[in-house]
This record gives sequence, C-alpha cells and structure tokens, in this order.
Amino acid sequence: MPSWIHKPSWVHKPTRKIVLLVTGAIALVLFGALGAAVVLLSGAYSTAATTQHFKITHRLLDAGLRYSVRASASDIQAPILDEPHKYEQGAACYRLHCAQCHGAPGIAPDEEGRGMLPIASNLAQSAREWPAEWLYYVTKKGVRMSGMPAWEFRMSEESLWSTVAFLTRLPSLTRAEYAQLSQYSAQLECESAEGAEMQASEDRTKIVFRQYACHSCHRIEGVVGPKSYVGPALVEWSHRKYLAGTLPNNEENLVRFILDPQAVRPHSLMPKLEVAPAHARQMARYLLELE
Amino acid sequence: MSVTARIAIGWLYLVLCGCMAPEGYEPHVPEGDPRQGREVLAELECGVCHVIPGVPGARGRVGPALADYKRNVYIAGRYPNDPDILTRFVRDAPSMSPDTAMPAIEMSEAQARDIAAYLYSL
Ligand code: HEC
Ligand code: HEC
Ligand code: HEC
Repeated sequence: MPSWIHKPSWVHKPTRKIVLLVTGAIALVLFGALGAAVVLLSGAYSTAATTQHFKITHRLLDAGLRYSVRASASDIQAPILDEPHKYEQGAACYRLHCAQCHGAPGIAPDEEGRGMLPIASNLAQSAREWPAEWLYYVTKKGVRMSGMPAWEFRMSEESLWSTVAFLTRLPSLTRAEYAQLSQYSAQLECESAEGAEMQASEDRTKIVFRQYACHSCHRIEGVVGPKSYVGPALVEWSHRKYLAGTLPNNEENLVRFILDPQAVRPHSLMPKLEVAPAHARQMARYLLELE
Repeated sequence: MSVTARIAIGWLYLVLCGCMAPEGYEPHVPEGDPRQGREVLAELECGVCHVIPGVPGARGRVGPALADYKRNVYIAGRYPNDPDILTRFVRDAPSMSPDTAMPAIEMSEAQARDIAAYLYSL
C-alpha cells in the first residue's frame, strides 16, 4: 500500500478480510449480471419454442416447480374426492379446458398443445405422482412462463376440486373407460367462476386485470405488462371526463363498458371479455382511484 | 454470424448505447410539417380537451392523452391508426364516428396534415 494512503484506525485485519470478501462477492454478481445482459442483447439467447433447454436447466426448472408447488400447497386440505358426481363433473371440465393441451387416455393433445415449450405434461403421470393438493394448486394458479393458465378466474371452487377428483382417477382409466366417462359427461357443464370478490385488495385487483387479459391491450397504471398500444393507456383515470369517447366517466358507466363494450359502442374494437360483474366493479373502482 | 461475433456486438451495444429495442413502424404524413402542426394545435386549442406533450397549456382531460401517438394501433377505438385516416379524423370526427364526444373542428386539409405529422412525431 502506498504510503500516502492513510490506513484508518478501524481497518484492522479481520475487518479488512470481510471487506475484501464482500467486495469480491459483489464484483462477481455484477460481472454475472453483465455477462447475462451481453448474452441477451447480442441475440445469442434463443427464444424459439423449437430450442430446448439444456438437460440440466430442464431438470432444475422441474425441481423448482415441485419445490414451489409443495411450499405453496402446504396448507391446502383436499375434500373427499372419490365420489362419482365429482369426477364425472370433473371429466366435463377436463374435456372442455384441459385435454386440448394435456391430451387424455388414448387421445392426443391438439395442435396448439403439441407445439409448446415446455410441453404440457401428460397428467396421467402427474396425477400418479402428485398429491391432490398440488394438482389443485397448479390448476388454480397456473404455472408462470410455461403456458399453463390459471383457472381460478374461469372455474368455480367446486369445479376446480371436481377437476382434481377427475385427475386422481386419470391414471387408472383405460381408453374405453375414458371414452365412456367423456361421453357421459358431455351433458354436464363446467361451472365457471362466480366472481364474487369480497375483500378486493389493490393487489388482488391487479391480478383480476391480468386474468382478464386487459393488459394485453392496455397499459394500466400499477399493473406490469407488455407495452401495449392497442387500447388507450389507463392512467390518471380519475381526471378523465369521457370514457370511450362517448360516456361520462363514472363508476356505473365504466362497469357497463367493461362488461360489454360493443353494447355501448357497436363498432368498438374492444371485445367483450366475459367479465364477472363483481370483477368489473372492482376494476372500475381501481381505475377511478388513479390520480 | 458466429455466436462469438454476436456476443462481441452485444458488448458494443452495451457500451455504446445501452439497452435498446427497435422501435418499429414510423407513420409518415406526406407534406405534413410537424413544426407547423404544433402551432396549429395551439391555435385551435385542442389542449382544452387533450394532454399534448410540447404544446403549452395542453392539459385537457376530456379526451385521451395524445402522447406517443405513433404507437397507438387504433384511432378512437374504431379505425386503424393510419396517416390518411388520422388526417380526416382530427378535422371531422363526428362524420366518422357519430357517437363521439370529439367535435368537428374547422381547419384546412393542410393544417390537418400538419397536426397528424406533429402527433406522429411525439
Ligand atoms: C394452453 C395449454 C394448457 C391448458 C389448456 C392446460 N394446461 Fe396444464 N400445463 C400446461 C403446460 C405447458 C404445463 C407444463 C408446466 C411445466 O412443466 O413447466 C402444464 C402443467 C400442468 C400441471 C403440472 C403437472 C406437472 O407434472 O408438471 C397440472 C397439474 C396441470 N397442468 C393441470 C391442468 C388442468 C387441470 C387443466 C384444465 C383445467 C390444464 N392443466 C389446462 C399447459 C396447459
Ligand atoms: C383486444 C384488446 C383489448 C382488451 C383485451 C381490452 N381492451 Fe379495453 N379497450 C380496447 C380498445 C381498442 C379500446 C378503445 C375502444 C373504444 O373507444 O371504443 C378500449 C377502451 C377501454 C376503456 C376506455 C378507455 C378510454 O380512453 O376511454 C377502458 C376503461 C377499458 N378499455 C378497460 C378495459 C378492461 C378493464 C379490460 C379487461 C377486462 C380491457 N379493457 C380489455 C382494447 C382492449
Ligand atoms: C371538446 C373536447 C375536444 C376537443 C376540443 C378536441 N378533442 Fe380530440 N377527442 C375528444 C374526445 C372526447 C375524444 C375521444 C373520441 C372517441 O373515442 O370517439 C377525442 C379523440 C381524439 C383523437 C383520437 C384519440 C385516440 O386515442 O385515438 C385525436 C387524435 C384527437 N382527438 C385530436 C384532436 C385534435 C387535433 C383536436 C384539435 C384540433 C382535438 N382533438 C380537439 C375531445 C376533444
């Protein structure tokens, strides 16, 4: 050390070691981040759905999913599932909402399902290996960055459990048995989410926006999403006088428009998203609070 | 290009201009003059109803903010955002969308083009 640098009195040996270690660790992290940024910006990282992960990455991601699901599902308690009316109902939900990606005994997934990365697992195997609570959790919440949708906002609580009841039977079904169950359940409906949202917290409302795909077209204040310019930006909304260029901006009109835009403006490019009325109100209130 | 070359270029990007993504489509208004457009916007007081960046006092909240207009996909939720259509819309919205709260505003075709050019320059 050059003599003109004064060594402060507090730098005795062990402290210096720690400082050195910490600096080293920070430098390593920064270097790693920089490396990742370079790979990303150079375009060398492939986003093609035909480019599989490395085997090790795939195994790590699989393990990550299991650990995450196990932790999140730890305080869920499954009801009794082994009842015919439950799995018959669940078969209806499965045929309607799941088979296109996951396939069914003797039946291939649809074309959309086959082209995905990660590929939708064959659930006969998952249901053999996973407890019902895990199946319920994944069905309800979906899997981020995988193409597995969350069904919480599309299926009632009862339908979710019925679907799980069906899943638990899935590994034991032959092709003929599935065909029979599927045919029988064709007359049953899969109950959609009732959408009664009692304590609507702000965070919950943000999830509601995303679960109706509002952010695929709108930039919404406080909601992270793509930089979409298909619909107007929903920001500083409380100041707006008119809504959709024609209605005075207030809660009732907002709810009306969100529920059925084309009933308000027949030419509107905003589609009807089958929003539950309680959710529309929740979103309207959120928007009207944006300063 | 080899992966190494790409990584090297990535370095350059990082050093020279930071993170950038291509911006894409740039609408062009034939014979539209953005500088003139800004003056016309101020003169016709569009700012009473719209927030328009760069136009003094344009802070109205009756209609949508007109920031970043070139990236909007649609005009008034009804028409494709195209220079010709925008030029017509800013002059005479009600003839194109009878239920709209945006009024028809008297101006020349050239002024409308200048306005469109300015909005696309934001
Ligand atoms: C749009 C396609 C798609 C639909 C529809 C779909 N899934 Fe999935 N699902 C996936 C994908 C992709 C994965 C794989 C996630 C992963 O491994 O990272 C997955 C994973 C799962 C898993 C975790 C299984 C495992 O072993 O990893 C369960 C359970 C599941 N889905 C249940 C369902 C149920 C029940 C339905 C119907 C209500 C359904 N899925 C509908 C795409 C879909
Ligand atoms: C497919 C794209 C799309 C989706 C999805 C979508 N919107 Fe829209 N939205 C639009 C378009 C386009 C307009 C302009 C329509 C018009 O003026 O008639 C619009 C207008 C609006 C407006 C009025 C905006 C204004 O400036 O006056 C609100 C509020 C709104 N949408 C809320 C929502 C909510 C809430 C959702 C989710 C339930 C949603 N939108 C989903 C495209 C979409
Ligand atoms: C009386 C208030 C008012 C005035 C003045 C006004 N506008 Fe508008 N403008 C509106 C409203 C309300 C809308 C929403 C129209 C709709 O969706 O049908 C709108 C919509 C627009 C749009 C489309 C916005 C979008 O998101 O697609 C443009 C562009 C526009 N106005 C430009 C102008 C220009 C330029 C002027 C001045 C020449 C002007 N406006 C003057 C009220 C006004």
